[in-house]
Amino acid sequence: MSLPPVSTETLGHLSDEPVDGGPAGGGKGKGSIVGKSPIQIALSRLLHDKVAVLCLIVVVLFALIAVFADALMKLFGVTTDTVRPIGLIDQLGGGLPLIGPPNNGFDPEHPFGIAPGTASDNLAYWLAGAQTSMMIAALATLVASVVGVTLGLLAGYAGGMVDRIISFFIDFFLTVPFLLAALTIAPIISERFGAEPNYPTIQRWTLITVLAMFGWMSIARLIRGEVLSLRERDFIQAARVLGMPTRRILVRELLPNLVAPIVVSVSLMLPTFVAAEAGLSFLGLGVTDGKSWGQIISNATDYFQTYPLYLYEPLLGIVLLVVALNLLGDAIRDALDPKTRR
Amino acid sequence: MFAYVVKRLIAGFFVVILVSMSIFALFWYGPQEPARPLCNLETSQRCTPERLEVYTESMGYNNPIHSEYLKFMKGIVAGRDITIAGRTQECPAPCFGFSYATDRPVWGELKDRLPATISVAFGGAALYVILGVPIGIAAARRRGTLTDKALVSTFLVLSSVPYYLFALMLWLYVTIVWQVPGLSDTGYVPLSENPAKWAAGLLLPWLALGIFGSTQYTRFARGSMIEALSEDYIRTARAKGLPTRTVVYRHGLRAAMVPIVTIFGIDLGTLLVGTIFTERIFDIQGIGLWALLAVGDKDLPVVQATALFGAVVMIVCNLLVDLVYSALDPRVRLS
Repeated sequence: MSLPPVSTETLGHLSDEPVDGGPAGGGKGKGSIVGKSPIQIALSRLLHDKVAVLCLIVVVLFALIAVFADALMKLFGVTTDTVRPIGLIDQLGGGLPLIGPPNNGFDPEHPFGIAPGTASDNLAYWLAGAQTSMMIAALATLVASVVGVTLGLLAGYAGGMVDRIISFFIDFFLTVPFLLAALTIAPIISERFGAEPNYPTIQRWTLITVLAMFGWMSIARLIRGEVLSLRERDFIQAARVLGMPTRRILVRELLPNLVAPIVVSVSLMLPTFVAAEAGLSFLGLGVTDGKSWGQIISNATDYFQTYPLYLYEPLLGIVLLVVALNLLGDAIRDALDPKTRR
Repeated sequence: MFAYVVKRLIAGFFVVILVSMSIFALFWYGPQEPARPLCNLETSQRCTPERLEVYTESMGYNNPIHSEYLKFMKGIVAGRDITIAGRTQECPAPCFGFSYATDRPVWGELKDRLPATISVAFGGAALYVILGVPIGIAAARRRGTLTDKALVSTFLVLSSVPYYLFALMLWLYVTIVWQVPGLSDTGYVPLSENPAKWAAGLLLPWLALGIFGSTQYTRFARGSMIEALSEDYIRTARAKGLPTRTVVYRHGLRAAMVPIVTIFGIDLGTLLVGTIFTERIFDIQGIGLWALLAVGDKDLPVVQATALFGAVVMIVCNLLVDLVYSALDPRVRLS
């Protein structure tokens, strides 16, 4: 390697992405630096972690279920359409289904059974619930991370008044309890949009907004702290001296060095949002059209003694997904942290 | 120290004002027809446009928002008379309006339900520490052993499960499937009325909160204990020949408790405003359940009051934590 004397620090960033071209052009030659980027090292550590791989498989499986929920419904021949419960439900004897579980064995037309009372298909609603859960969690995570990273970068890099204002809002939103905010907004949304035909869609977007609104602070604070230390480093100072525009410094110099904290935050945000969505729907503050695991669980509590399967189906969905996401997040954090050795 | 306290108090006061403004604005601009729920209720769902206009006018929604906000804040401080659709009611301070559903002052109802929520919150928070800290210390002292690893991974999985599912399953199994005597009859009975029933009715919610919450405390206690036990003064204490128990509890625990005190303050605040799941699952008539039912009824004054109350409790708890923390650790107030 015949490189000009570049500090090891710059080397570390070079391998990440060719950000510091530098006047000597040391980083331009492709393949001239043999070595692994921190991300590559983390990835290989992650793939050697059996628990993490298992969790990853579970998460990917759920993601596929969510994406192909409609196709899966067709495959199994089930729909979320309302059905006439006559003949399917024992209307005098507590509303339990006359076909399939819990009392009449397995019904191939309804692999998960049918819901007591309404006779709607459990599998179809389970798939729709998976879709709701994943979609809301993913979008809320996306919005919260974009907002959090942007504000964190701004606060950390600009400093002064901007930093003070953003920091105030971080502290402010950390003080307001999320559950209370969701509770406050729910009746207002229902008053305003309750009669509209696309109310379920509005409910979902409200949820995404509320979750993102109360989820961006942790990542913003993390990024701010990182930027505060990074901006005093030599490579940023050099970029500034060279006259690089601020936006370019933020996006090309700082952002690549923040990949690790962002990835960790995102991976820990997802399970929180999945749990929060189901929790709000359980309380009746989230999705109310039945296509949410939380709402199914809320309905199923009354039938638990006679029809426990009805409750266990969505419960298993949430627990599997949330635990897998949480453990995966922990594994990712450990893999990216050079201090831990597993 | 005094200057720091004053500074924090002033900042806290401004946050309270800001929160009250946000909540007021939310309930002002949020609903399309803010007078509709009350009008619907009082005309038994036959609220004509003319009637609605009467309600809108008398509830002040035609006036500018700032003057109504000032009226609202004045009501909280000094009380006021509220006239809605020709009916005047005296609302003593602190006035948060009247509940649509019961026509009683919101503050009175809130006060009635506060003891239930406080009972749940304090009992649960006490168990957090009683269960969590000793287990954490035990794990820290056996660091690296099989016991430690088993404890840590069990708690990692347990704390990954959403709390409400844990509480719900606990409730379903204990009260419906197994019908454990003594635990099954959950609910709130005032302490002054029957202390035994009070404890019996709240035991299960406390356990649910305590077991679940203690997982976090175990983790924190373990972490800060490991840190404390690796300090030089611990080695010195050991070298002096002090008994292990003295070293761990007198020297180690004291340092390890500082971060735990901080989390505890925040958690207590969160519990005071956030026992909604616990109250809903175990059917305890506290503030959380009240607010939840008010959401269903679109009882806007109740929701508004709980939101404001919750925010103030949170701010006060944060403030207390900061003050306690700065008393414990002088570096904080100097930074």
